[in-house]
Amino acid sequence: MNNFSVDLTNCDREPIHIPGKIQSHGFLIAVDQSALNISYISENIDLFVKENAKNLLNKPLAQFNTFIDQDGPEFNIEDLLKLGVIKKSFDAISPHPLSINGKPFYLIISAAHNYWLLEFEPVTLQYDIQSSIGRSASAMLKGKSVSALLKGAAIEVKKLINYDRIMIYKFLDDGHGEVVAEEKEEHLEPFFGLHYPASDIPKQARELYKLNLTRLIADVNTEDSPILTFNENEPLDLTNGSLRAVSPIHIQYLKNMGVFSSFSISLISHGELWGLIACHNYSPKFIDYKAREGSKLVGQILSSALEYRQEEEDIEIVEKFKNTAEILAQYLSRDHYLIEAITNHDESILDITQASGVAIIFENTLKTLGTVPNEEDIKELAQWLKKSTDETVYYTHRLSEIYSPSKKYKNIASGILACTIGKNSDEMIIWFKPEQISTVNWAGNPDKPVTPSENGLLSLSPRKSFETWSQVVNNTSERWLPEEVTSVLRIREIIISHINKRANEIRLLNEKLQAAYEELDTFSYTISHDLRTPLTSIRTYAELLLKNKSIDDQGKKMLDRILTGADKMNFLIKEILNLARVGRSDISFETVDVQKLINDISTEVWTAFKADNAELILGHLPTLSGDKTMIAQVFTNLIGNAVKYSSMAQNPKIEVDGYLDGGEIIYCIKDNGIGIDNRYYDRVFELFKRMDNVKDIEGTGVGLAIVKRIVERHNGRVWFESQLNVGSTFYVAFKNK
Amino acid sequence: MKTPDIFYVEDDLDYAFFMQSAVQEVKDTLNLTIVEDGAEALQRLQSFAESKTKPKLILLDLNLPGLSGLDLLKFIRDIPYLKSIPVILFSTSDNPADVKASIEFGANAYLTKPDGYDNLVKCLHSVHDFWFNQHLRLN
Repeated sequence: MNNFSVDLTNCDREPIHIPGKIQSHGFLIAVDQSALNISYISENIDLFVKENAKNLLNKPLAQFNTFIDQDGPEFNIEDLLKLGVIKKSFDAISPHPLSINGKPFYLIISAAHNYWLLEFEPVTLQYDIQSSIGRSASAMLKGKSVSALLKGAAIEVKKLINYDRIMIYKFLDDGHGEVVAEEKEEHLEPFFGLHYPASDIPKQARELYKLNLTRLIADVNTEDSPILTFNENEPLDLTNGSLRAVSPIHIQYLKNMGVFSSFSISLISHGELWGLIACHNYSPKFIDYKAREGSKLVGQILSSALEYRQEEEDIEIVEKFKNTAEILAQYLSRDHYLIEAITNHDESILDITQASGVAIIFENTLKTLGTVPNEEDIKELAQWLKKSTDETVYYTHRLSEIYSPSKKYKNIASGILACTIGKNSDEMIIWFKPEQISTVNWAGNPDKPVTPSENGLLSLSPRKSFETWSQVVNNTSERWLPEEVTSVLRIREIIISHINKRANEIRLLNEKLQAAYEELDTFSYTISHDLRTPLTSIRTYAELLLKNKSIDDQGKKMLDRILTGADKMNFLIKEILNLARVGRSDISFETVDVQKLINDISTEVWTAFKADNAELILGHLPTLSGDKTMIAQVFTNLIGNAVKYSSMAQNPKIEVDGYLDGGEIIYCIKDNGIGIDNRYYDRVFELFKRMDNVKDIEGTGVGLAIVKRIVERHNGRVWFESQLNVGSTFYVAFKNK
Repeated sequence: MKTPDIFYVEDDLDYAFFMQSAVQEVKDTLNLTIVEDGAEALQRLQSFAESKTKPKLILLDLNLPGLSGLDLLKFIRDIPYLKSIPVILFSTSDNPADVKASIEFGANAYLTKPDGYDNLVKCLHSVHDFWFNQHLRLN
């Protein structure tokens, strides 16, 4: 009937739902739903009733009623089927107890396409299982943690159906299974902690585990009973049947393990097969429908408890991550520097995941917390990440297999979770998880599930050896949980919006400052300009009055004082105008011949200060790039100061020298004058600031402020070294373009 | 109306006063006409053109309320009869941009207003020497 030939290339396509056979501890009849004729029948029916299967085939179902013991009111199966059709379910009808030849049977009815499956199986249970289940469930649920819950479930299932070994088997991500709880007869070797390769339970078997939550194999050594039918081309679908015969490969597998009877209960979490409660018996064992249903209920209770407990544990992790993110957000808004905010407190960026180390690369700074590779390695890793991924978040738990340079620090960083922060992909945060050298104890070598048969062909034999086979798994860290990735994405949003906010604040501040500067320049320019006109008038009237013959000497003296005051004020206003002009004008860069510039300036300065006794020593005078007028102003002011403040010296000496230093041309202007008290170093370049020791020397306190402003507008630097009564040296550095 | 030797537009009454005084000091026969603002200056310039009288020199303050010195300069250069008159822009500003603009608009010279009366007198002496003696001879 089932002509599918199983070999190693197609074993996971074996149509196990249509085996064409049933396990022989019960018998099966299938009737077509319209006529209720017997379309399929198991050959072994003659072991239960005094009739040959062939004689019943294609007969009305009513004929079978004669074999059922009629104790009380008249019973026929058709009425049961009609009732099920009306109720649209056989859940409340199955199992229907009846008796055949004085022996108790359960009739279990289910649907198979256009047929009703009628399965008859013996009743064995002598006690009421319902009350035991209630007790078992409450005992099991006492376990607070997931592992205690599982252990409790194994104990309770053992009590209920008393198989030699009860294992709770969990499917891991890659499909292989691990025994996570076990309850067994003492003399048996423990399987707890063993891993089973994914191939042990093929895909289509898993699908059936999701549909039928229990599965009984009563005795691996009994011969299956074939199903007879005239519909040779239409194999009967036994998906819903509990008598469904077992795949020969699976039978062989169980035999190799020494198992005679097996029973499994599916554990479903979120609609997926989470695992199985696998029960093994080392002698044939049959448990009846009610016992199986009872176990199924325990499995369902365990499933929902698992779902709930797992969710609780997951929620705890998520809550912790969320809290950390919130706390970090607060630090970010409070602290001045980003890196400090996320690393300097009790709660840090490290707590965003379950990593053991974290590195932050931000604004060319590397900051680490916890256990991390050394700086050079982190920087190289960051470069590699930048090159090899465009994703905002990248993670792996097997870094050294993807990026071989990381092999040397795999003990620290076998797992990385990286995310970029900001537009600049150089800036990122990388979390590290250490290598987790774990030993996986396989129940047999998973790579050798097949043994060659005597004729040398690879035959259907599942592996024979179940001796523990250990495998060391390395280069691998603990996996990154989806919750960790979510947590990283959450903190990334927070950090990025923080960075953007800061950038905006700085930009606004800059704009305001710029506007204020411009306003101030305009203001000083206008005010100075407007002040000059009336000042000129004051001065001129005073001059005109001086020409008047009728003014006496006292009056003339006063007019002289007016003239002096007006001149002083005029000079000051001119200086402020100069300063304002530096801020207002555009810089036109050109090559400036400093040699020529200084010749002109020195003539002017020496005349202005009547500094005939001052000596000017010129060194190397390289050309500069900048605004000619402004640079002239810089040298005029600096040389002017040098001359002015060394006028008291015996032999005033002013030296000017320029040299190339890296990308800068540095000029130094040195004098042997009165010097500057270093206590006032910071105030020297401030507007209107004049030092204590120059009270007697004319000046406005504007000259050096102009110098500083011009130099800064040229992106240069200005500073000085000085010693009181020895002299000062001013340095001006211009970019060498 | 007598043709002025110097036609001067100046809104600052003080400076106008100094100028009057200084011009007399340089040469007391020099005839100086001063107007206070651009509008009045415009009227006067038009009447010069109509009556075919031509001042020997025009001094314009740069910053005037309403029409500026540069506006007046442009106006002068656009009237054929007046366009050959030497015009000097006269201002407190020593901003190179102002100087440049004045020359571009056709000023014959740009003078920064001297500080103090003595300087003004000196300045006017040289202006007189150049524009009334040497310059005339060149013509």
